[in-house]
Amino acid sequence: MNTANIRNFSIIAHIDHGKSTLADRLLEYTGTLSSREMEDQVLDQMELERERGITIKAQSVRLDYKAKDGQMYMLNLIDTPGHVDFTYEVSRSLAACEGALLVVDAAQGIEAQTLANVYLALEHDLEIIPVINKIDLPSADPERVKQEIEDVIGLDTSDAVLASAKTGIGVEEILEAIVRKVPAPKGDANAPLRALIFDSHFDPYKGVIVYVRVMDGVIKPGMKIKMMATDKRFEVNEAGVFRPYLATVDELRPGQVGFFAASIKNVKDTRVGDTVTDGESSVTEPLPGYRKVTPMVYCGLYPVESSEYDTLRDALEKLQLNDASLVFEPETSVALGFGFRCGFLGLLHMDVIQERLEREYNLALITTAPNVIYMVHKTDGEVLRIDNPSHLPTPQEIEHIEEPYVKATIIVPNEFVGSVMELSQEKRGEYQDMKYLDTTRVMLTYHLPLSEIIYDYFDRLKSSTRGYASLDYELIGYKTSQLVKLDILLNGAPVDALSVIVHQDRAQYRGRLLAEKLRGIIPRQMFEIPIQAAIGNKVIARETVRAMRKDVLAKCYGGDITRKRKLLEKQKEGKKRMKQVGNVEVPQEAFMAILKMD
Amino acid sequence: MKLGVYIHIPFCRRKCLYCDFSSSADEIERYQESYITALSREITGRGGVLSGYTVDSVYFGGGTPTVLQAEALGKILARLSDYTSIEADVEITVEANPDTVDGEKLSALRMSGVNRISFGVQSFTDEVLKAAGRIHSAEGAKSAVWQANASGFDNVSLDLMYGLPKQSAASFRSGLNEALKLPVRHLSVYGLKVEDNTPFGKMAAEGRLVLPEEEEEDAMYQDAVRILPQRGFERYEISNYALPGYESRHNLKYWRYQPYLGLGVAAHSFMHNRRAANTRSLAQYLKLTEQEVLPVVEEERVSEGQAMAEFAFLALRTKAGLRYQDFNHCFGTDFLSHYGPVVETMTAKGAVIADTKGIRLTDRGMKYGNVVFAAFLPE
Ligand SMILES: Nc1nc2c(ncn2[C@@H]2O[C@H](COP(=O)(O)OP(=O)(O)OP(=O)(O)O)[C@@H](O)[C@H]2O)c(=O)[nH]1
Ligand code: SF4
Ligand SMILES: [Mg+2]
Repeated sequence: MNTANIRNFSIIAHIDHGKSTLADRLLEYTGTLSSREMEDQVLDQMELERERGITIKAQSVRLDYKAKDGQMYMLNLIDTPGHVDFTYEVSRSLAACEGALLVVDAAQGIEAQTLANVYLALEHDLEIIPVINKIDLPSADPERVKQEIEDVIGLDTSDAVLASAKTGIGVEEILEAIVRKVPAPKGDANAPLRALIFDSHFDPYKGVIVYVRVMDGVIKPGMKIKMMATDKRFEVNEAGVFRPYLATVDELRPGQVGFFAASIKNVKDTRVGDTVTDGESSVTEPLPGYRKVTPMVYCGLYPVESSEYDTLRDALEKLQLNDASLVFEPETSVALGFGFRCGFLGLLHMDVIQERLEREYNLALITTAPNVIYMVHKTDGEVLRIDNPSHLPTPQEIEHIEEPYVKATIIVPNEFVGSVMELSQEKRGEYQDMKYLDTTRVMLTYHLPLSEIIYDYFDRLKSSTRGYASLDYELIGYKTSQLVKLDILLNGAPVDALSVIVHQDRAQYRGRLLAEKLRGIIPRQMFEIPIQAAIGNKVIARETVRAMRKDVLAKCYGGDITRKRKLLEKQKEGKKRMKQVGNVEVPQEAFMAILKMD
Repeated sequence: MKLGVYIHIPFCRRKCLYCDFSSSADEIERYQESYITALSREITGRGGVLSGYTVDSVYFGGGTPTVLQAEALGKILARLSDYTSIEADVEITVEANPDTVDGEKLSALRMSGVNRISFGVQSFTDEVLKAAGRIHSAEGAKSAVWQANASGFDNVSLDLMYGLPKQSAASFRSGLNEALKLPVRHLSVYGLKVEDNTPFGKMAAEGRLVLPEEEEEDAMYQDAVRILPQRGFERYEISNYALPGYESRHNLKYWRYQPYLGLGVAAHSFMHNRRAANTRSLAQYLKLTEQEVLPVVEEERVSEGQAMAEFAFLALRTKAGLRYQDFNHCFGTDFLSHYGPVVETMTAKGAVIADTKGIRLTDRGMKYGNVVFAAFLPE
């Protein structure tokens, strides 16, 4: 097909504004999937996505559309996630497109991620088509929302499409707008191959499946290719497109989005953001890749069974292939043994990775409480980057500590402004700005320590605004704070994996809470277990887990040893998920206790 | 090779409220005759196996073996000796309920060769006995013990329980003292365990079972552990105490991984690494033996890993503990190279003590035996 008839676009929006549902309608309307294959949010195929009703991975799919001008068009749609943790996923998708559908819920209007995502699209110079969705809702107010888009983003909405992804209103209009407004990709089929890797996954039979957007040249089976960053060469076995299942084609041409397989067995040979060229290519300039993502939060991941360490490493490598924002490094803990310190884009991302590891790789894991990266300036002038609280130097060695701050954007109905300000104040926030989006809605800007956001800011924001507030944040830099390390001692011995870094003013309170919480989590054992929270040498809280009840089978029941053994087997089974820390058996959830407080 | 024989008598006058042993209160009169015949048939059926052993312990358990006539038990012993040789110094135990014996019956038992009697007394407080559904009184228990002594029983044992409804630490302690005034050589002290399929289990499910508080029950346990050894009764196993030389030979067989043959309803056997269980149904037992079929309904070949674990947790029940040499001899593998990490963890927790000869439980380990035992099971 002629490049002029190709259109590449993403669907972007705030969480739950209906991106995936709109994608369903587009697939349906163009007959890409038969009605038998259709289901709600069909592109959300990951088990976790279906369970939680959210999109986690961006997903591309090719649609063939016969437009009103009588011509056939090849549309490549990328459905993106709306959650703040996955903004990076959106930005990668946008790099493979020339246009974006900006979906805004007609009842809710602009929310925090609407703004974040639209700014990304503008950065990429994309043609933006506003779609006011959910107009079927009784509370829909498309005119107000249009006005908001004009006022806040400055987009012309005279051509905005009013749609309902639920009922199908506006779908044809959207397809026509794409054909008309989104520019066709540029590119030269005769030039040397240049293709951008935007994603990949591992297939046990075919090796790495590489997702690309072809800029120049063609990819076809039999040809030799080269990965520019790793300088690894392969022969292409298969090329194809997403329909949304993988469908092979003869070749991928300029402007097209698709995949190829080349018996790439080593996961590390493929890097998202890298450029693919032909094996003997003269190309020396790679395509502009992706801005390197910086993980926001870190936590330790340890196998419950130390023998599963290698499985965990393999699993992390495979997941990383499909998720470039995941970083990990081996680390050891006195309490937990060998594991990895992993960096994530946020708590949801962390939760998703942990669950995928447990489900897809059948691992039992211990996750330590998440923390941010601290910059520790030592008295001797050295600056340390601390991603694990237990690595904090002693107070004597510390000159000062800096912690990351974010610029937080909160959009909320004006009646809740007071609560949001109160909460932000409590969380050490610094007020920046307040703007009325319309007569009833306000956008607040605060500078907040990232650590407070991952602690409980978002949950409390939601609960104090009856769910109406939306939040987006981006890193702005580091600031000096009065921080201390809070240690937990079990049975008199400090447990490194339980240490946390907290603000001095909150240390006392959190220490008490954490000790209390642990008392509830750690089961009674053969002896009494003192739990202490301490800062330096000073114990600030103390709790005790009493010794357990007597536990011994008495009679032999006339020699029925089998029954006895079975009872013991049952008992042992129930204890699988505990980690032996010194003499104390600690359940997995203890290491996350600090997060699940209040 | 030596063998212990366990013979189950599945009859009781009345079911105690906590009991889930295989015994029935309704059918004594109707079935005891045929049951004795059935037992004889089972012995005949097992004659081939029996002839390879010499028997050094016979244990009549139940149920309440003493609901039967002394002659009936004598008949069974005689039948046994038709197929196997019984050692001269054999230990022959009968479990007895105080209310089912009198001087005459006790003498008759003694005459038929029984030389050890174990009374299920459970408590010396009438209120507690009543609440547990026991048929006898505290006084009745005392006189039964004295009569046994008078009838020539040197080796008398009592079973006591703690943690029963209406029991207090004080009444339990005075019960211990009562027991120690009696001519007994051996004491078994068990904590109440509420089993699902018993009247107590049902009451507990309905929230009607009032048990002593945890601290109260713990005080009872601590008293037994402390007082009995002070009075010369060594705690030779987690729940058993004896004057020197009066340890129960039969029970030691279980703990030392020695073979035993179980006869009768619901009896269990352990021979050649096989565990077998007879049917729990009296009717089926009678039917199968009638047809001259062995009444075994379950058989399990114990895997190597399971066998090692069993060996360990059974041996650990005893004061002597587990001797490496015995284990290594039995399995042809080194105990410590197999269980090193477990021993290390449990030592660190203060639950076991290891030395060059073997390992044994500490007081803490005895209190939390299950936790230690479970650690020895294969993954
Ligand atoms: N009434 C109505 N509901 C809609 C419409 N479009 C989507 N929804 C509902 O809104 C909810 C969210 O829809 P999704 O399509 O999963 O939203 P999304 O934007 O893909 O969400 P994320 O991927 O998590 O960011 C679902 O319950 C949909 O059924 C619409 O036009 N009208
Ligand atoms: S007498 Fe013994 S076997 Fe019979 S019901 Fe009572 S406790 Fe159970
Ligand atoms: Mg979605």
